[in-house]
Amino acid sequence: MQLPDAIKEKPGRNYETIAWKWMRYSALLLIPLVWGHVLLQDILVGVHRIDLNYVALRWASLGWRIYDVLLLGFAFAHGVNGLRQVALDYIHNPRARRGVEWGLLIFWLLITGIGAAAIIGGVSALPE
Amino acid sequence: MRLTLKIFRYDPNTSAGPHYDRFQVEADPNDRVLDLLEAVRGDQDDTLSFRRSCAHGVCGSDAMRINGLNALACKVLVKDLNSDTIQIEPLLGLRVEKDLIVDMEPFFAHYRSILPYLINDEPLPEDGKERLQSEAERERFDDTTKCILCAACTTSCPSFWADGQTIGPAAIVNAHRFIFDSRDRGRLKRLKILAGQAGVWRCRTAFNCTEACPRDIHITRAIAEVKQEILKHS
Repeated sequence: MQLPDAIKEKPGRNYETIAWKWMRYSALLLIPLVWGHVLLQDILVGVHRIDLNYVALRWASLGWRIYDVLLLGFAFAHGVNGLRQVALDYIHNPRARRGVEWGLLIFWLLITGIGAAAIIGGVSALPE
Repeated sequence: MRLTLKIFRYDPNTSAGPHYDRFQVEADPNDRVLDLLEAVRGDQDDTLSFRRSCAHGVCGSDAMRINGLNALACKVLVKDLNSDTIQIEPLLGLRVEKDLIVDMEPFFAHYRSILPYLINDEPLPEDGKERLQSEAERERFDDTTKCILCAACTTSCPSFWADGQTIGPAAIVNAHRFIFDSRDRGRLKRLKILAGQAGVWRCRTAFNCTEACPRDIHITRAIAEVKQEILKHS
């Protein structure tokens, strides 16, 4: 009986396995990041009191900038990968799938780039 | 007791499209749904088509949707349905050939894709007889040996409904049966197949498969164990 070359072959690092792990690890980090964000911005400070001065004050601290970069990176990538999973349910043509995956990647890069530029560039408080 | 059977009908050779027919039947509470289908075919409409073989929950040929849930018609008792009308439909996600008969080929293609046979090219034991294993080694995959390939699980899986390329729970269960068999040497090859885009990562742990399984296999657990095994080797 001819047997497949089964013994040494490893599942290895494939894209889908990495994407699955990413969803789990990023979700774990999102729990403290998102709850911290909601608690501070929506409850302690309140959305109506957030203005440019407040953002300038917040981003004067490097710690908050790192926090916001992490939140942007994990939350958005987590969400876009989720969208990719949903899209794969409905789009079955391999070429269309590739197109959607590239489109989502570009969308993610664009929005993350704009967000990162804002966070790194920071803001100056308005003159009184 | 008098019951109404609302049965999905489709015959590609007639112009009538898919529709439901209603049949009145006299039933005993201990009758099985398969008995009612046989009564309809025998006494009322001999064009009604459905699969059946052993009629005792072993062969797995009469899986269908009964009041919306996948089950074997030979294992569901009328009294357990608590309903005067029983709706019987073919399995979802597979092409209907006629009435309650679906094309099982895509299901079996997924099954074949995971190499559902023992792979071991090592020399035979000295006595030339059996490759022995301990009770514990056998116990490791005992649950997944119970699969009868009825397709109740795969056709209850939302990921399979959405995309027929999804390998589905039955194929993963049968891969599990060999992946955790101490005598088998094809584990990594199977894990590689299951780590692909149509494989285990399509499972969203909806648990539909576990509820649908007429053999009470812990399918979602088996899928989780295969996922862990892939993570261990990646």
